Amino acid sequence: MQQKIYDVVVVGSGAGGGTLSSRLANLGADVLVLEGGPQVNTHTDFNTHALPFEFPTRHIPTMRPGKPGFDGERSRGLGGKTMLWNAVALRFSQRDFKGRQHDGVGEDWPVDYAEMKPYYDRVEREVGVCGNLDHLEDLPDGIFLPPVPMKCSDIAIQKGAAKLGVKVIHVRKATITRAQPTRPACHFCGNCMSGCDVVAKYNSYDVQMVPALKTGNLTLRGNSIVYDLPVNDEARVKEVRYFDRETRSEGVARGRVVVVACACAQSVALLLMSKSSRFPNGLANSSGELGRNFIPHITAGFELFLEDMIGKPSENDEGFLDHAYVPSFMHDKKRDYARSFGVQFGYHNRRAAGWARSIKGMGKSYKESVKARYPAYQTFSPYQEMLPNAESYIDLDPDHVDEYGLPRARRHWKLSEMDMRLHNDMKKRCREILEASRAQILSMSVDPTTNHEIGGCRMGTDPRRSILDATCRAHDVPNLYVVDASAFPSSSEKNPTLTIMALASRTADLIADRLQKREV
Amino acid sequence: MASYSSDRRQVLKLFGAISATCTYPFAGDDLYGQTAHEHGPAQTPNRFLNEADYKTVSRIADLIIPPTDTPGAIQAGVPEYIDLVISRESQHQAVVADGLRWLDAQAKTLGGSHFLELDEHAQLGILEPLCEAADADKSQARNIQFFALLKRLTSDGYYTSKIGLIDELGYKGNTVRASFPECPEH
Repeated sequence: MQQKIYDVVVVGSGAGGGTLSSRLANLGADVLVLEGGPQVNTHTDFNTHALPFEFPTRHIPTMRPGKPGFDGERSRGLGGKTMLWNAVALRFSQRDFKGRQHDGVGEDWPVDYAEMKPYYDRVEREVGVCGNLDHLEDLPDGIFLPPVPMKCSDIAIQKGAAKLGVKVIHVRKATITRAQPTRPACHFCGNCMSGCDVVAKYNSYDVQMVPALKTGNLTLRGNSIVYDLPVNDEARVKEVRYFDRETRSEGVARGRVVVVACACAQSVALLLMSKSSRFPNGLANSSGELGRNFIPHITAGFELFLEDMIGKPSENDEGFLDHAYVPSFMHDKKRDYARSFGVQFGYHNRRAAGWARSIKGMGKSYKESVKARYPAYQTFSPYQEMLPNAESYIDLDPDHVDEYGLPRARRHWKLSEMDMRLHNDMKKRCREILEASRAQILSMSVDPTTNHEIGGCRMGTDPRRSILDATCRAHDVPNLYVVDASAFPSSSEKNPTLTIMALASRTADLIADRLQKREV
Repeated sequence: MASYSSDRRQVLKLFGAISATCTYPFAGDDLYGQTAHEHGPAQTPNRFLNEADYKTVSRIADLIIPPTDTPGAIQAGVPEYIDLVISRESQHQAVVADGLRWLDAQAKTLGGSHFLELDEHAQLGILEPLCEAADADKSQARNIQFFALLKRLTSDGYYTSKIGLIDELGYKGNTVRASFPECPEH
C-alpha cells in the first residue's frame, strides 16, 4: 500500500506549530502534526492547584503522579511551552522589525509592522488577549479584551516610576477576561504557569488544535520524535523520519510541505542533525548560518520589599501573576548603546517564601520580620534585546546525547561591550524606579541570564546571510518552512510568543496559497 | 486541607452563579482534592539522623522559629523536612555532623554534657552569635556554615508547611474569584 502523502507535515505543536497547523486545516489543507511528547489532558494532568506542603520535598512536580510529559530539558507534550507559559502577549513595533534602520546596527526583518499587523489582529481575535489601549507608538495596541486591574503593589511602582517620567501599563496577556462559549474567563487562582486547568489562558492544543480537529483535516500524532529530514535530488525534503518515544519503533511521514516548529534551539538541532550529501553541514545550511545569530533575551532580577506594604495584612493578590508592565522607555533617548529593555514584574506567586532565609535574625523577632514582609515582597525583572555576534550560537554537542540517543543542542552566548552597557544601564534605571517606589532592595542579580530562546535560523532577503526567506521558507529547500522564534532576525525586548503566532498564521496563508497554485 | 478545600467549593458555587455565561463544565469543582497525595508530610519515614542528633536539630529549628501565637518549627514538621534534605546530600551530612559535635563541645565548657541539657538562655547564648555571623556572611568557619544551613532549611521547611504558609503568613491564594478587585487605596 502506498503511504499517504499529506499536504503539510508539521513538527511541533506549540505556539508556532499549533497556530499554523490549525489555520491550514481550517483552510482545507490535509495536515499531520508530529509532536515529540504525549497528549496531555489540560484539565486533569497538571498539578495546577497543588501547594508545597503536599510533597515531602516541598517541590511541586509539573505533572500529577503517573502523567507523562513536560518534564526534563525539552518541553514535550501537545501544546508545547504554551501549556506552561505566563501568557504575556505583546506586539512588536516597527522599531522592533527595523532595528537597524533605527539604531544603525543589528539586523532588520524582511517584513515590517504594516505587513504583520493583520496577522496580529487575527491571532488576538482567535485566542483572546486582554489589555488596555495605551496608544504607545513602540508597543502597538491590539484587539483587546478588558484589562485586569492593577494590584496595590503595581500602583506603588507605577507612582514611583511616574516620578521619573516612566510609564507603567496594564500587562497584555493571552488570557481571557470574558467567558467565551468554550472557555471560562480567568478566575485569578494564581497558577498560570502550572498548566491552566480551565484553559482561560491560551494554549495551542485546546484553543486552536482541538477545534481544528473537527474539520477532519488535522491528524495529531503524539510521542513521535523527529530526528531526520532527508532530501531528494531536487533539494526537497522527501520524508520526515521519527521514532516512537515509548516503543522506539521507527516511522516515516510524507508531506508536500514540511514545517519545523520545535521551539528555537530544538528546531535548529533538528536541521543540524539532518545532514546529507547535499547539505553536509545541516539541512538548508548552504550559507553556514544555521545556528548562528542566537539572540536570547537577557534578563536581570531584583527582589524587594515595598516599604508601604510592610506590616499590612496578607491579601489574596496572586491574581493571574503579573498585572502590569514597564514598556521600553530608552529607545528614543540619548544613550551609549543600541536597542532597549522592558520590565516584567510581580510574576511570582505567594505559595512559597524562599526569600525568608535571607532575613536576618532568629527567634520571635525573625518570625515577625518575615511575616511583616510577606505582603510586601516583589520581584522585578527587566528584559533586554541583545545584538547578534559571532560567539553566540547553537550547535550540537559532539560528546553527549540525550535519553533518546540524539545529540543535545548547546546554547552559547556572550554579550558584547555594547550589550553590557545596555545591561548595566538597565539595572541602574530599574534601581532608580524601585527607589522612587520606596522599595527596600533585598537582592539584585550579578550576572546576566537568558530567557526566551530566539534566533539561530533567521529570516532575511540575502541567502548568504540567512536561512529563511521573508515567508519563513528555507532559501535552499523549496518545501521546508520554520515557524518559531528561531526565525527572528532580531529579538526586540518584548516577549516573543504573539509574534511567533502571527508569523505562523501568516506562513499558513502563504503555504495554503502555494498549495492551491500547485507551487509546492 | 479539609477546611481549605471546602472553602474553595463554596467559592466555586458562587462563581458558577455569577458567571451564567460560562457554559464550560468547570473542571476545578470535581477535580479539586485530587492533588492530595498519598505521601503527606505527616508520614514518618525511616529517619536519616539518629535519635539524639534528630532531637538536637529539632531543638535548634524550634529556637530559630519558635512557637508564638502560631506553632513553631517542630509542630510544623520542619525536623522531618530537614532530615529528608540532609539524607539526600552528603555535603550537608558532614556539615551537620561537625556542627553537632561542636555544639556538644561548647556545652561541656558551660558545664553540661550535651547541648540539649543546657537551659534556653545558654542555648541561645551559643546560637545567637552564630546567627549574627551567618547573617553577615562574614566567616567560612564550619560552625557558622552549620548554623547557616540549619537556618536555611528551617526557613524553607517552615514557610512551605501548612502551618507556616497558611497559619503564620496568611496565604490566601489558590482560590476562584469572579473578578480581580481594584486596589482600595487607589
